[in-house]
Amino acid sequence: MGFDFSRLVPSIPFILEGIWFTLTVVVGGAALGLLIGMILSFMRISKNRVLDGIAAGYTSIFRGTPLIVQLVLLYYVLIDLTGIDLGLYWSTILALGLNSGAYMAEIIRAGILAVDKGQSEAAMALGVPYSKIMGKIIMPQALKNILPAIINELTALTKESAIVNIIGAQDIMRRSMLVGMRNFRFIEPMLLAAAIYYVLVMIISSIGKLVERRLAKSDQS
Amino acid sequence: MIKVKGLSKSFKKNQVLKSISTEIGEGSVVAVIGPSGSGKSTFLRCLNGLETATEGNIWVSGEEITSPKANLAKIRENIGMVFQHFHLFPHMTVLENITFAPIQVKGKSKQDAEKIGQELLAKVGLSEKANAYPSSLSGGQKQRVAIARALAMEPKMMLFDEPTSALDPEMVKEVLDVMKSLIHTGMTMAIVTHEMGFAKEVADRILFLDGGVIVEDATPEVFFSSPKSARAQDFLAKVL
Repeated sequence: MGFDFSRLVPSIPFILEGIWFTLTVVVGGAALGLLIGMILSFMRISKNRVLDGIAAGYTSIFRGTPLIVQLVLLYYVLIDLTGIDLGLYWSTILALGLNSGAYMAEIIRAGILAVDKGQSEAAMALGVPYSKIMGKIIMPQALKNILPAIINELTALTKESAIVNIIGAQDIMRRSMLVGMRNFRFIEPMLLAAAIYYVLVMIISSIGKLVERRLAKSDQS
Repeated sequence: MIKVKGLSKSFKKNQVLKSISTEIGEGSVVAVIGPSGSGKSTFLRCLNGLETATEGNIWVSGEEITSPKANLAKIRENIGMVFQHFHLFPHMTVLENITFAPIQVKGKSKQDAEKIGQELLAKVGLSEKANAYPSSLSGGQKQRVAIARALAMEPKMMLFDEPTSALDPEMVKEVLDVMKSLIHTGMTMAIVTHEMGFAKEVADRILFLDGGVIVEDATPEVFFSSPKSARAQDFLAKVL
């Protein structure tokens, strides 16, 4: 057996091209997820029972079903039912965003609740309106606290994005599979795919650590 | 300045305040004392609407804050509050803590706000800490910054909720000194405190709360030398 990378070499550029797809859908999905997560978390902490209920239901469904099922539903069933074809690219971003939003919502909500109640009381006592209390007092502290969890979610999303190959999206995973099928050898393209994902995850984690260190400046005594 | 009529407050089934009525005149300094759990902090927090009254009415400068239509944010601009645990904003420098509300709420320019902020920092003796973050300050310094932050809104009155209770003993004096200098400016103040000596020295009036009611309302001279109620005698015997 042994490894034989010689037959992989001509296909490496083809696989590497998948990085662009994977990266953009992960970044797009994460951005959408963060937005949805923020909206959901505000709904969860609001005193409005209906809003809270809707957000709780959303979170429960999207965390309670596999991403792969959501993706397939969104891509195939949406076309069947409504005729709307978002295309592979936007379907992928939407599915990742909707799914990640549910996880981000719980992270952000926990982050907001972890900020000392005295912070909003002190701001309220100064006459600061609610929107500014949230935007300038609570959220900056909450985001700083949850940054590690957000980075964690980003790396998870990067890895999970590999399942979008199921609907035929040309990501790193899909391209590696194609090369494997063409050469009847999966071990080398899969090792390459693993290496690419690993490098991506490492890059995201180190960027996260860098930002964390930046934000920690107010903790210095 | 403040008028309270029939104020009651319950947390679920636990009634903390039982039909309290009193007035706090402009320029007066009222010390609110009593055993823990007597409702004194809750009473203070009702005065700026941090706690919503279950029953009764409160007027601040003639405006009813217990009305559902009350613009609480607007009313709170005129009532500074200092908390036991400071609650400085940890992600802002000392100066930013002080200028935040004047800029965001009153729409002051950064320069104006910072000028006032520096003056206030000088008053509380912390000019050199303007660019420090709260985490690098001692408890006494934090509380002095908190006082400066409240004063930056140019309030008509100040509420102090056990301002020295979380401090190490050697830092109590620096905070009380700042409060004393504030009293000399004629500021209306309501102070929940366990510092009996301080209350005796600076207050015009003592409100003694126990079990959610005002048991005694007297001048410090009368209250500390000849309290009428058995509960107040009991309390003083324990703390003095």
